[in-house]
Amino acid sequence: MAFSFFGILAVLLETIRPWLGLIVTVLAVDIVLTAWLWASRRSWSSARRPALLAGALVGVVTFFLAPWLTSARFSDLSGLLDWLSIVGGSVAVALLVAILLWPLMTALFGKRDRT
Amino acid sequence: MSLDSRKASNLSRKDSTARIDDGRRRLLKAAGLGGALAAVAGGTLLSAPTSAMQTRARIVIVGAGAAGIAAANRLARGLDGAAITIIDRRQRHLYQPGLTLVATGIWKPGKVVDRNDRYLPQSVNWIQDHVAEFDPEANRVVTTAGRVVPYDYLLVTTGLKIDFDAIEGMSPELIGRESIGCVYDNPEHAERTWQMIDQYTAAGGVGLFTRGPGGIKCAGAPLKVTMLTEDIARQRSTRRSLEMVYNSPGAGLFSQPDTNEFLKQEFPERDIAINWHHRLKGIEPEAHRATFATPEGDVRIDYDFIHVVPPMRAPDALGNSPLAWQEGGFADDGNWMEVDQFSMRHQRYGNVFGAGDCVGTPIGKTAASVKAQVPVAVDNMINTIRDRETVARYDGYTSCPLITGRGRGILVEFDYALNMVPSFPFISPYREHWVPWVMKDRMLQPAYNAMLRGRI
Repeated sequence: MAFSFFGILAVLLETIRPWLGLIVTVLAVDIVLTAWLWASRRSWSSARRPALLAGALVGVVTFFLAPWLTSARFSDLSGLLDWLSIVGGSVAVALLVAILLWPLMTALFGKRDRT
Repeated sequence: MSLDSRKASNLSRKDSTARIDDGRRRLLKAAGLGGALAAVAGGTLLSAPTSAMQTRARIVIVGAGAAGIAAANRLARGLDGAAITIIDRRQRHLYQPGLTLVATGIWKPGKVVDRNDRYLPQSVNWIQDHVAEFDPEANRVVTTAGRVVPYDYLLVTTGLKIDFDAIEGMSPELIGRESIGCVYDNPEHAERTWQMIDQYTAAGGVGLFTRGPGGIKCAGAPLKVTMLTEDIARQRSTRRSLEMVYNSPGAGLFSQPDTNEFLKQEFPERDIAINWHHRLKGIEPEAHRATFATPEGDVRIDYDFIHVVPPMRAPDALGNSPLAWQEGGFADDGNWMEVDQFSMRHQRYGNVFGAGDCVGTPIGKTAASVKAQVPVAVDNMINTIRDRETVARYDGYTSCPLITGRGRGILVEFDYALNMVPSFPFISPYREHWVPWVMKDRMLQPAYNAMLRGRI
């Protein structure tokens, strides 16, 4: 049975619904931080590496914990589909964390632009 | 500072500014994309109908299970001015596809319990009672409290009745006692079943796994309970002390032929014996003995654990009404409601539609079937109100994430022709994977909730 784009979106929204409060809070903090960093003319590029490193770390942890988080074991993974899913999922988590942490890392490590 | 060095310094500053501006632009783009996505997402959740039909029709939905609530949401959005009433005494909403996981100790019972009022649209009138009588000649239903509810259009989504009385000596109160389990009906049964499976996989002995004859809801559940029990014993290193026997009432294990062949190989490989044509007929709880009707006569088998799956049928009020099949296989099997298997419309009462477990169709007593049936029933009802042809068709779609062990499963989807119809072509319906397990464990409940809200 085919799922429409809006159908998939509706399922994703139901998936995150229990954590909607947390997600909104994190996004709000990110937006406020971004606005403040923009106003204070911080350099974003200098914080890219630490954000990516933090994301990569979370991604690696996700990769190793994913089977356990789903009440399964690595021995339950079978074939390309499962391995691509776990690797793809971990990379997606890594990128998401890196993007979300970028403003915080800029606040911590970003240099002030002198112009 | 020389002119060249000033130029170089200015260029460097411009580069730096350009880099920062580029970074900001990208951030803004990302923020814009996020905003657009949030707007679309919000729109999906809150959107008003673009072409709701004006009508004063009185619509009654009997049953606030998965099909009833999903239909109420779709009708409330698709119709403007209709008087929609839903009748069901139950305030608790159960996510029944999760009961297998509760009965095998993977989920806590609370995870499958929700409230109907969280999903029912405010514009729908909810009568908290059960229907005692269907009177399609007079276009009305009567509740157990004696309230007469007239309608112009009726949608029957009562669900089904688990017929414990059909097994001599069996009653729901026995579940969780005398080594008896039953995954069906509610989380209390499922939790008590887990206590029995927990004891059995620790102590060992003879385990009998049964399946009711005829149409039952989630026909994969008895198989899943069997395989998960075997898997639990293997994890606990007690498998050798278990003698497991699956008792099929017929000559097969599953209606879809490829999956049936897979299971017929899988069970012997896992040392699960199969008794063909063994229908559970009676049980002697204190003696731990079950009686099976077989072509050779009754057979008695002693057990240390038994998973009882009774036959199922339409609720009495529906099954004894004119809406039920009056003759043929669906009447003999469970007094199921008569509908055209494609349009979900009653064949004798044109203003009556049905969906979910209560209808007599060749296959389709799963939540996945509800997802496919409800839009068809609702579209055809709306077209009937419009006095147009009913063109929506249900192709028999059903799905079973056949869990073969904790952490793996097969996503089986098929239609009336018993052909595999995978939603995701990259997931093989012939091979065990971790991904279908993740879908069962994490994704199907959100999909179910989206279905209740009428979004998918």
